[in-house]
Amino acid sequence: MVTLPQLIEEDIQQLDAVLEELLEKTDATTALIIDKGGFLIAHHGEQRQFDLTTIAALASGAYLANQTIANLIHETNFNSVYQQGEKYSMFVNCVDECCLLTVIFKAHLSVGAVKYFAGPAAESLARQLVLAQERNPSGGIDLSVLNLADPSAIFRKKT
Amino acid sequence: MAIINQATKELQVKIVYYGPAMGGKTTNLVQVHDHVQTTAGNKGKLVSLATSSDRTLFFDFLPIEAMSIKGFKTKFQLYTVPGQVIYNTTRQLVLRGVDGIVFVADSQYEKMAENVESFTNLDENLKALKLNLGDIPYVLQYNKRDLPNAAPVEYLEFLLNNREVQVPSFVSTAHLCEGVFESLNMITRMLLNKYISQSTPQYA
Repeated sequence: MVTLPQLIEEDIQQLDAVLEELLEKTDATTALIIDKGGFLIAHHGEQRQFDLTTIAALASGAYLANQTIANLIHETNFNSVYQQGEKYSMFVNCVDECCLLTVIFKAHLSVGAVKYFAGPAAESLARQLVLAQERNPSGGIDLSVLNLADPSAIFRKKT
Repeated sequence: MAIINQATKELQVKIVYYGPAMGGKTTNLVQVHDHVQTTAGNKGKLVSLATSSDRTLFFDFLPIEAMSIKGFKTKFQLYTVPGQVIYNTTRQLVLRGVDGIVFVADSQYEKMAENVESFTNLDENLKALKLNLGDIPYVLQYNKRDLPNAAPVEYLEFLLNNREVQVPSFVSTAHLCEGVFESLNMITRMLLNKYISQSTPQYA
């Protein structure tokens, strides 16, 4: 399975710049890059009023559920999903095989503009992820300081 | 697979609780949520997408932050799957990107066929995602040990832990929080160990 490459400072800065530009152009509230497994990768814009970790998990689940529905009606893929609300709406656009771009915007704003600018933004994000993948195709992390003989130190039950 | 973010110094891993319907997967998450010792703000809300009768419809989701390893914040995302047979597509979706699995079996004698069916289903769903149960760390949890019709552990071991490589197994009574943290800590240990053995050392 294709997985997200290891991201360095430069990658995050580039991804963040794309999100910032997208927010400027669309006047949207928050933009997120999420892994299809449910992880939040990067975000820009308003974050205090939203639980972004949970939004990432649920948005990826909703997107994947819609993709399965697409297959059931003999569609290859629904490339994007739009959820219309009364105060806020959400637009999810596929970036590549492992990532999604999610935009949260005020409901009175034009979804057309969000869709129009999200497409090129998703392409820019995909290009940066390709660069990250090529830089370090099998990057890992050194966890050697962890004392694995004592797993109880990881999660402790309240006494 | 786990997300390593060098810029924000985060390691994010996904653990999925799998098993037959009404086996105690959601109860495991509820107990972890209620009893885990964290500093303020490190435990997220338990999100449950359930039907009106409290059966899991899509998944339950609990984000928690554990310790810092070499300056990396380790964020764990715990998921359950719906156990009912009809929700297989949903189970496949939740398994996407999984790093470790806790298989929660129901110890009651009459649930043995469902346990085996669910375990086989796990194997098949992983294969559909081009993953292999042999490559993914998992532990077995034999739940509901407090019930009078619980089968002997040896029998459960024979049915579920009979593959080429035996994995750690735990007895539990999830609603009393017995065996819950033992399973979670073991799966965490196993998957972190996997990253240690996979990764190339980084020198400052």
